[in-house]
Amino acid sequence: MTAIASPAPGDVIAKPQREPVLVVSDLRAYYQTHYFGIVREVRAVDDISLHINPDEIYGLAGESSCGKTTLIKTIAGAIQPPLNVVGGSVRFNFGGAPLDVYASTPQARNAIRWRHLSYIMQGSMSVLNPVRRVRQSFIDFAFRHIGQPMPQFIDTIVAHLERLHLQANVLDAYPHELSGGMRQRVTIALATVCRPEFIIADEPTTALDVVVQKGVLAMIRGIQREIGSSMLFVTHDLAVHANLTDRLGIMYAGRIVEEGPTAEIFRAPKHPYTANLIHSLPRIGDTAPKKGLDGVPPNLAEPPPGCRFHPRCPLAMDICRRENPAMEPSGPGRRVACFAVTRGEPS
Amino acid sequence: MSEPLLEVRNVCKAFGMGGLLARYRFAAVNDVSFTIEQDRHEIFTIIGESGSGKTTLARMILNLVPMTSGSIRFRGTDLATIRRPADRLAFMGHVQPIFQNPFEAFNPLKRVDRYLFTTARRFTDARSTGEVESRADLALRKVGLSLAEVKQRFPHELSGGQLQRVAVARSLISEPSLIVADEPVSMVDASIRMSIVNLFKTLRDDLNVSIIYITHDLATAYYISDRIMIMKKGEVVESGPARTVLADPQHPYSILLRNSVLSPDAKGELLEPQFSTTERDLAGTR
Ligand SMILES: Nc1ncnc2c1ncn2[C@@H]1O[C@H](COP(=O)(O)OP(=O)(O)OP(=O)(O)O)[C@@H](O)[C@H]1O
Ligand SMILES: Nc1ncnc2c1ncn2[C@@H]1O[C@H](COP(=O)(O)OP(=O)(O)O)[C@@H](O)[C@H]1O
Ligand code: SF4
Ligand SMILES: [Mg+2]
Ligand SMILES: [Mg+2]
Repeated sequence: MTAIASPAPGDVIAKPQREPVLVVSDLRAYYQTHYFGIVREVRAVDDISLHINPDEIYGLAGESSCGKTTLIKTIAGAIQPPLNVVGGSVRFNFGGAPLDVYASTPQARNAIRWRHLSYIMQGSMSVLNPVRRVRQSFIDFAFRHIGQPMPQFIDTIVAHLERLHLQANVLDAYPHELSGGMRQRVTIALATVCRPEFIIADEPTTALDVVVQKGVLAMIRGIQREIGSSMLFVTHDLAVHANLTDRLGIMYAGRIVEEGPTAEIFRAPKHPYTANLIHSLPRIGDTAPKKGLDGVPPNLAEPPPGCRFHPRCPLAMDICRRENPAMEPSGPGRRVACFAVTRGEPS
Repeated sequence: MSEPLLEVRNVCKAFGMGGLLARYRFAAVNDVSFTIEQDRHEIFTIIGESGSGKTTLARMILNLVPMTSGSIRFRGTDLATIRRPADRLAFMGHVQPIFQNPFEAFNPLKRVDRYLFTTARRFTDARSTGEVESRADLALRKVGLSLAEVKQRFPHELSGGQLQRVAVARSLISEPSLIVADEPVSMVDASIRMSIVNLFKTLRDDLNVSIIYITHDLATAYYISDRIMIMKKGEVVESGPARTVLADPQHPYSILLRNSVLSPDAKGELLEPQFSTTERDLAGTR
């Protein structure tokens, strides 16, 4: 198959072009609140476009409060006021069944969503009911989908838990009796047991120790490979991205500022923010003083004009204070939103 | 020599796991001892596998849960003897916690600024609204936030990293001499992570605070700690000067830990599933 009609900007990698499973276009989602007559608008997702291919793990990185969770909530259709979609669209394509999340009725959305999509939320306790045993959560969540008689169903669950190195007796435990790491693995088991086509995971391994984390990541990768699902994997931990994701989007202040194959971004980051993130990583054996980024993350209720990174950017120019740099192609499979990069390159 | 700041002696904590196996008891913390000196302010790091009892140990040091056996002394006073409300309050002012998961540490129905105000009223002489607010703002500024940003907000309106910085700010209000930080940086990105651990360094060097730093992050542990203690299944398997231990771990578990750290320099190479055999029998079989 030739890729003459490239389906999405930036996707120049010579893979056989299958239709993306997810296309997000010009998405804007704001928290709109009214406190004592004062309207406050937090622009946590502000004009984001991206696509995710079948069988791909797309990573999303960025500092705390840049809007990662908001973006994936919006993609999952799991939003409620004060978060509102202000513009743009989120379109899934599950094996020929298209779903335009914000143009469908809630019923249609839910019917398709729960069959094909699974969302591992940030904070592991939230999906486990604290007053019910873990077994009950599995029954509530997966029994209908799996459609086996109870004894076989339990066998399926136990076999699945085993892959996450959890023993059958966690089914009898209450969530508070498990350590943070065990709870987190239980939620991952819950989210993957129905073999969804699309998995959204928000910081699923941040509560784990490094040994277990490595095992769980390998398991996530294994399941993803086995069922060929696509995955949107959010973590601020760049080392995880380096080891797990195929493509990476770097988010800053409600926008994606750089995107490309993960290994390429690590090899040669283009956006000054990405470069700072990658160079400030502490490594064992390294005691050279390392500073976080100077300045504070922008307040998304009043984002800086122009490039939102300009108050913290060592390369900021005049134009950066006035105009917002658009995401533009920059090398094979890569996009970046920075005047210093796109204006500096011969076009 | 003056009395140690903190003396943990042969501390054990057993839990009965009613839900898992009736009347089955196991040691979440088993015979742990260490000392933090009064006159040597340090960052003492505890690393260990999930479920190895780090949080349980932290909760005992904070006098939040009783131990099954052993003793913990703070400036010579046995924690078990601290009972009167006034003594408890004084102790809490000296030893402040930062908890693991900010989403669980904050009550979802309570505005986050209230936590700071309550803490300021309890532990400082601030009384008027203005004084209380300025204490809160001062503490928030030490962690790169400001009162304006968190005022009136509920926990779900802040991101994980913002919430954790509020937690650090709250712990600074009473000007404690010991901070017990249970995975304070697990939820935050590399940049804030560095600013929080650098903040710990400043607290140690300039404000004479000692810090018990519980973490999974070996890289920051290497970067800031003076001493380190590695735990597995409730027991200490190795301890010593942080850089020596991390550069050249001796115990098989420490070596596994060291080798499991994901390198940011790896190029998407496929991860080998590699579990310690002990991890398999984590749930209730010990
Ligand atoms: N209230 C409780 N009742 C029964 N068991 C408990 C209780 N609290 C903790 N445990 C058990 O004690 C052990 C230690 O738990 P703890 O949360 O202290 O581990 P941890 O080292 O902090 O782990 P993680 O890093 O995953 O959070 C675990 O096996 C856990 O299941
Ligand atoms: N319910 C809410 N109401 C108002 N603001 C919110 C709400 N939830 C999140 N925010 C704000 O939106 C921004 C992005 O938050 P979030 O998506 O949680 O970030 P991340 O996951 O990257 O840490 C932050 O500034 C946060 O304070
Ligand atoms: S556009 Fe300007 S301010 Fe923004 S990252 Fe590029 S150089 Fe820096
Ligand atoms: Mg988040
Ligand atoms: Mg813990």
